[in-house]
Amino acid sequence: MGIIREKKPKSSSSSPSSTSPCADLRAAYHNCFNRWYSEKFVKGQWQKEECVAEWQKYRACLSEHLEDKHLSRFLEAEALDSTARADSASVVDGAETNS
Amino acid sequence: MVKAYAQEHVYKHPWEIVTSASWRKFADPENKRTLSHILDVDTLNHKLDAESGKLYATRAITIHAPGPWFVRKIVGQDICHCVESTVVDGQSRSMQLTTRNISLQKYIEVEERIRYNPHPDNPSGWTVCKQETSIRIKPLSALASMAEKVEQRCAERFLQNSVKGREVMERICKYLESESRGITF
Repeated sequence: MGIIREKKPKSSSSSPSSTSPCADLRAAYHNCFNRWYSEKFVKGQWQKEECVAEWQKYRACLSEHLEDKHLSRFLEAEALDSTARADSASVVDGAETNS
Repeated sequence: MVKAYAQEHVYKHPWEIVTSASWRKFADPENKRTLSHILDVDTLNHKLDAESGKLYATRAITIHAPGPWFVRKIVGQDICHCVESTVVDGQSRSMQLTTRNISLQKYIEVEERIRYNPHPDNPSGWTVCKQETSIRIKPLSALASMAEKVEQRCAERFLQNSVKGREVMERICKYLESESRGITF
């Protein structure tokens, strides 16, 4: 029942992340992102997007292995936009109403 | 049947540190023991608006929520997927996270909103965290008859987990602060 297509671990104590095929790429991206966020973004250096290569590799792995169809649709850019807009009308410029 | 809970917590750490900790909260293997109900976190999408300094991200969070045996029997699973949408406004220093379940929506809808803002009394040193949770059991679901009990359990679990979450946040904040003090350029 995991989101990643793989054999379900027998014991519930073992985390699926250790066996998931994207775990290494995910860790590489998250490490890069966390570093960029703490060292650049919060200091106002948000002009340049970083961790692009890490993201592309990780995303390619996810789109291959993500099984859950509800989750897969969030991989599409449009889904992100509409979610973000709906969730944060107060912070997003030009927030629109759903019609 | 809707239950709503609101909590407020002040972190005596700057917004920059607290929001950094928030990103790391689930992913850090150190914390997997404390937040053992979190199985996996995947980033599904992200976007940076380089002009306005706004960052958007969507993450999938897989939660292990066994609940009572009869719930498992009815819903047939004990793993729940949630989707977390985050907006960070770097210019105004605000972070907002909204988490919803996408599994089991026939039975229950849980929405959690967390906002991190600089504390008005000490904007450069403290951060206020406002958390709102609403839990809604679908009236016609098979769970309706035991809904009260389930809602209670969910609520207890959420409150428990948010206390654990704060412990984890404190630990990561301290770690990040000691790390940033240790770095010399």
